[in-house]
Amino acid sequence: MISAFSPLTLPPLPARFSPREFTHVRFRPPQAFSATATASSTAYATRENTALPYLNLQRMPSYTSLYDVLGLPTEASFQEIKSAYRRLARVSHPDVAAIDRKDSSANDFMKIHAAYSTLSDPEKRADYDRKLLRRCRPVASVRMASGFTGYTRRNWETDQCW
Amino acid sequence: MAEPIYTVASDSETTGEDRSAPIFPEIAVGIDIGTSQCSIAFWNGSQVELLKNTRNQKIMRSYVTFKDDTPSGGVINELSHEYDMLSGAAIFNMKRLIGRVDTDPVVHASKSLPFLVQTLDIGVRPFVAALVNNVWRSTTPEEVLAIFLVELKMMAEHQLKRPIRNVVLTIPVSFSRFQLTRVERACAMAGLQVRLMPEPTAVALLYAQQQQQQAVHENMGSGSEKIALIFNMGAGYCDVAVSATGGGVSQIKALAGSPIGGEDLLQNTMKYLLPNVESIFSHRGIDEIRRMGLLRVATQDAIHKLSFQSSVQIDVNLGNGSKLCKVLSREEFEMVNSEVFEKCKNLVNQCLHDARVGIDDLSDVVVVGGCSNIPKIRSLLMQKSKKKALYEGMNPLEAAVSGAALEGAVASGIADPFGSLDLLSIQATPLAIGIRADGNSFIPIIPKNTTMPARKELVFTTVKDNQSEALIVVYEGEETRAEENHLLGYFKIIGIPPAPKGLPEITICMDIDSSNMLRVLAGARLPGAHHPATPFMEVKMPTVDDGHGWCAEALHGKYGAAMDLVSLQKKS
Repeated sequence: MISAFSPLTLPPLPARFSPREFTHVRFRPPQAFSATATASSTAYATRENTALPYLNLQRMPSYTSLYDVLGLPTEASFQEIKSAYRRLARVSHPDVAAIDRKDSSANDFMKIHAAYSTLSDPEKRADYDRKLLRRCRPVASVRMASGFTGYTRRNWETDQCW
Repeated sequence: MAEPIYTVASDSETTGEDRSAPIFPEIAVGIDIGTSQCSIAFWNGSQVELLKNTRNQKIMRSYVTFKDDTPSGGVINELSHEYDMLSGAAIFNMKRLIGRVDTDPVVHASKSLPFLVQTLDIGVRPFVAALVNNVWRSTTPEEVLAIFLVELKMMAEHQLKRPIRNVVLTIPVSFSRFQLTRVERACAMAGLQVRLMPEPTAVALLYAQQQQQQAVHENMGSGSEKIALIFNMGAGYCDVAVSATGGGVSQIKALAGSPIGGEDLLQNTMKYLLPNVESIFSHRGIDEIRRMGLLRVATQDAIHKLSFQSSVQIDVNLGNGSKLCKVLSREEFEMVNSEVFEKCKNLVNQCLHDARVGIDDLSDVVVVGGCSNIPKIRSLLMQKSKKKALYEGMNPLEAAVSGAALEGAVASGIADPFGSLDLLSIQATPLAIGIRADGNSFIPIIPKNTTMPARKELVFTTVKDNQSEALIVVYEGEETRAEENHLLGYFKIIGIPPAPKGLPEITICMDIDSSNMLRVLAGARLPGAHHPATPFMEVKMPTVDDGHGWCAEALHGKYGAAMDLVSLQKKS
């Protein structure tokens, strides 16, 4: 599953951003999280791309919803959402992530936090749930609404992973 | 699958950019250098322990005495009497001055200190000097801070018998990123790699650890979440945080801070006791400094006593035949400082509001810092939270440094067999970061209280037809007018494609990475174009140096509105 964006759309790579370990993180399927409090390193797939750590040009794992990001069913309680967030933060936050994936962990953590901040807010969650039901907005229109291609993916609040 | 990628270590890991390498090879110690007191703590393998100096003190005075050639600080140096500190040779309260320019009201308030603080009011750093052998010898807040750090480092190295290279240093919430660079400069002068942690978030981490241990002890699950209000007021700063704690994770929901503290209480009280205090001491002769010092010590002493008794008798001989004899009641003290207490209340209100937390949601109210014994502060917080008691689980003077030591151990990757270090502190931005646009407005891009790491962007556009350049002026703060915030830096986007005004899309992205480094990215393109018109700009902030106070005015004077930007309203 390698993303197929054209290298031409990349901004020039500053020298000090020589490619490093920009491991892209995958999460286990939802059910895997219910067992233990910590997701082991086996949850992480091999890196699939390299990019600037903050210009998140690499392709997202194809989550179908914010619930998938937290590894929860759509009927999860607020309590479960909070616990899942804390559990995932304990694994993905850059302060606790392994040294070789500090940069990618920042992206992962931001994604988890974005999911949490929508789903832990009753209003935002209801709104999101309605959109999730419709589930028909084409990705392209979301892209156009934001800045240029290089930046679109970073707008977590408005540009969710579906 | 993708080919393996051959990697070259990033330059930023091997150069002097130490803060991009937050991974500590050995356990970092925690240091709290307050406006008036400092302390150092470390993880001893099973718990946090504070180090004591040779005089058996865990809490040491934050001052440096300049004598002859070598300055010495309050960690090692012993004062024969507190009045020695007021001879003009001792410099203190530097935490209130670090990274501030001479137009700052906090700097002006520091001019009544018994040494030299001079201002020219042109947006440069103030002149600070100590009186040594009847000569005003200049120093800087960074130098004074570095001296404390070296002394604390030496003390710790001697007692722990290992080199100390990494520290977690606590800082006030209200510090701008420019001020942080000055603190980092002081740490570099002392040969230390530093991670900075806002004081109430360090307290919140200690609280999280205590709650976690209690949960384990009571064999409860870690599922329950506790909301704590943390109020930390020392001599120089008042900071408030609301944290959500559960399972050892301390998530900062909101922060609020202001440079108000015990020093303001002291100065207000001094002015009340001796209304013409400023004119008396305006000449800065040795005699005036001594008298100013005498009044200062007597007032400080009286304020301490008023925490435990309802009135206090002040008797102080100010020399020159003038004598101050007065009974000061707690009511008077509270009256002359009503503005300070009002500000404290506002900070609490603002923080609760920003955290979107109701009074009923609060599990605990934690009051720490040098001002935590003041009855008015305690009653104010109990009233506000509708609680009959405040949290009792921690020593108010040791909480911040203990939390910093915990963070040091956690960030060093130390595991504790009993799970005492299964902790995480999720930080939030204490101030909004944005740019000047829409005339003279401050447009936040990363709002205040955004969880970090963070990355946000906004799209702007030009104000003139065929405008080819735009000035990006980056500020940090909470004020609506751009220049009332802290200036972090500025740069110019060039090569905006010719187009009618309002058409080009200028995207400004701000990124705070895992080591709290702020980068601003900017690019311009025409709508519909897939490629940016020119290469992106990527600027590490802050870029401003000392004496930046008037940069914004200079830019405005030179360019006017020629390179302005306005927000682009998204068509949804």
